[in-house]
Amino acid sequence: MTVQLPPEAEEREVRFLGSASIDGTPIAYIVVLSSVVTALSFIPFSVTIGTSVSAIPLSGGILPLVGFLLGPVAGAVACGIGTFIGAFLAPYTAGFLPATVGGAALASLAAGLMGSKRGSWCWILVGFAVPAYLFLAARAVLQNGVELKIFIAGTILDWSALILLISPLRKLVGRWLRSFDLFRLAMGLVLGTWIAGGVAHLFQMSLSYAYFNWPQESWIFLIPVIPFEQGVRCVVGTLIGARVITGLRALFLIKPPTALY
Amino acid sequence: MLWTCPLTPVAMDAIATLKNVSYLYPTSTVPVLKDISLEIRRGEFLGIIGPTGAGKSTLCLTLNGIVPQFYGGRFFGHISIAGKDTLSYPISDLAQHVAAVFEDPEMQLTATSVENEIAFALENLRVPAAEIRARIPRVLEAVRLAGTEEKHPQDLSGGQKQRLAIASALALQPDLLILDEPTSQLDPVGAEDVFATVKHLNQTLGITVVMVSHAAEEMATYADRLALLSDGQLQATGTPSEIYGQCDSLKTLGLRPPQVTQTIAQIYDLALDTMPVTLSAGLEVLEKLTHDRDLAPVPKLEEPSPRREQPQISVRNLSHTYADGTQALSDVSLDIFPGEYLLIAGQNGAGKSTLVKHFLNLLKPTSGTVMLGPQSTTQLKMSDLARRIGYVAQNPDNQIFNSTVEKEVTYALRNLGYDSGTIQQRANDSLAAMNLLPERQSHPLSLPKGDRARIVIAAILAMEPEIIILDEPTIGQDDRGANAILEVSQQLHEMGKTLIVITHHLHLMPDFAERAIIMGQGSILLDTSLREAYHQTEILKSTYLAAPQAVLLAQKIGQLTGKVNPLLTPTEVANYFSA
Repeated sequence: MTVQLPPEAEEREVRFLGSASIDGTPIAYIVVLSSVVTALSFIPFSVTIGTSVSAIPLSGGILPLVGFLLGPVAGAVACGIGTFIGAFLAPYTAGFLPATVGGAALASLAAGLMGSKRGSWCWILVGFAVPAYLFLAARAVLQNGVELKIFIAGTILDWSALILLISPLRKLVGRWLRSFDLFRLAMGLVLGTWIAGGVAHLFQMSLSYAYFNWPQESWIFLIPVIPFEQGVRCVVGTLIGARVITGLRALFLIKPPTALY
Repeated sequence: MLWTCPLTPVAMDAIATLKNVSYLYPTSTVPVLKDISLEIRRGEFLGIIGPTGAGKSTLCLTLNGIVPQFYGGRFFGHISIAGKDTLSYPISDLAQHVAAVFEDPEMQLTATSVENEIAFALENLRVPAAEIRARIPRVLEAVRLAGTEEKHPQDLSGGQKQRLAIASALALQPDLLILDEPTSQLDPVGAEDVFATVKHLNQTLGITVVMVSHAAEEMATYADRLALLSDGQLQATGTPSEIYGQCDSLKTLGLRPPQVTQTIAQIYDLALDTMPVTLSAGLEVLEKLTHDRDLAPVPKLEEPSPRREQPQISVRNLSHTYADGTQALSDVSLDIFPGEYLLIAGQNGAGKSTLVKHFLNLLKPTSGTVMLGPQSTTQLKMSDLARRIGYVAQNPDNQIFNSTVEKEVTYALRNLGYDSGTIQQRANDSLAAMNLLPERQSHPLSLPKGDRARIVIAAILAMEPEIIILDEPTIGQDDRGANAILEVSQQLHEMGKTLIVITHHLHLMPDFAERAIIMGQGSILLDTSLREAYHQTEILKSTYLAAPQAVLLAQKIGQLTGKVNPLLTPTEVANYFSA
């Protein structure tokens, strides 16, 4: 970048010196985004009834976005707190609390790992996700007698997200999120939301299934529902995310060091 | 430019020192501040003036470290506040020396009671509870809000809210108090109140004050020294008389001096060593001239002739009570005729915005009727009303939600199903009218607030409505920006549109509005010609409005000559002495 008018004085190193930050992200950002997550917890959007005790909240669409905006650690904190408060204020979307809160934090954490930074963390996440998937498979197929093909179809979101997470596409998503081209940005948001949401869903599903075994009939019912709901989350995350990111870029607010946009 | 020396002699005891400061926002290639060197003296009241986009707000944000620590970007040079380098100390550290109050008090008030509001920042700085309890009554007394401790901040008037924001800043016991356009949203008396309060604090507590404001009359009266910024550069510093005395140079920058200075500067063949910038100084000069010069005849006060055609908007016995029980309008009746240019003025909370929102059916009458032509507005669809009445609300940000200026301007047209050729044509015309063509692909939020207001006006223009309502359109604008907006309104008026402008900036309206409606506490106090209304100074005062200085000068001269002297503008007053 060429400065049009060369300043007279020496250039100074610019740093955020405030101590009120998590992983370099100002607390104020975390508070604001956790409030947004809480507010969106009030809006149910699930097309299924009783899938996880209660309806799925609209905040599910922005959990990965929070990770893109704040980075993996601050994003996970914001989503965890926001979802936890939302669960009490809007219990009709709370679901199974440990899975809901943990899943929210994981969705944001996974989203924050889409870029090139902290790639090794991604492998740690995969290290937990693969056993979680195997546990789910063992419990469904071996213990509860769900047909393998039904199980694979019912977990299409989970295994596709896992594969995409370990593929080079993860870094491509990070590049697209940094793009000023609106189409690429949108593509980054769609794919990023699918992957991060899918990984979180895998952990939520494993945990929920450990408590609430459901029969093959339910698995069959969920085959189209789970990808469809994740698709809606992707649309929500992309619509909100594209506007928020273009707005933030225009506002010149300092970016958290681990932000992806 | 007539100023030759950019800096006055350096003070020995400076609270803030800026050395060759330049700054670029992230992703920008153009410095918003360019090589600024300035010393702010301990205990002074420094006014910062400059056109919109000059870098005034950015300069203020450099003083508490928010720029560049929070915004990032590239920073050159050094700023030291109370001996602390703003890039070497955390913002929380600097906040103990520098407190800031911004344009919109609503943005700064978060607590549920006045005393909690003041305690908030202190608690964050871990001030002991006993000390917090001791400071709250002291600062409330200083800003004349004693007795409001238990009140909810939202129950205060606009001026009171801004004074609460000042009290909260003051509680930090800062060495330096920064106020960035703190009075732009207040009625004139509320604004005067804030200026007087700040000056009182400056004089009695010795707090150094840096204030950014377009309010030339108040800055001339209260500031010890002015710094003039333009295009990111410090053009000059000097006394108000030295800076405002250069009327022509200010005009080229899109700024205006106080009306009294404009008046004296326009009087033919009058040479003065020092240009008066305050009302009292100006009166002294004019008093002498009334004896020395032949005086020109003055215009007569004429009653507006009654109109016989069907009113475009007819309001009958309109009352409105909000859900919380606040009665905002009480038995208001008026007719607005096609092609009128109408000013609506009155104190904060007088019911001006409530009244015009009934025209759009955004609010429904508690009792009474509002007719648009022959139909009641309650029977018309919102979309039909939106096509016929364009409303530019007070806060432009509430009406902006697209990612580019062009998308914002074409948004309503696209939704109303216009063809692409018409959309493009209208967008081009309205963007050109508001000087926004170069910014058409910019994100609206990347532009200054003044430009954002023009985006909303451009979007309304593109709709080509019959009636256009501008609710405080000149807030945050410099003189050039304010006049540019009003000139567009004038062009629309000449095209036959009905214009309704709500503003506190009475000095801007004589060249535009024909009729004035003055409101107070939900009622119409005056409905007459602009000239007549401006000279009803007691009624204006009763609704916290202040007549422009030119009107006050004319009335004082009238008292001296024993004649009714209904002059309105600096030019009219100057011509009176240039016969």
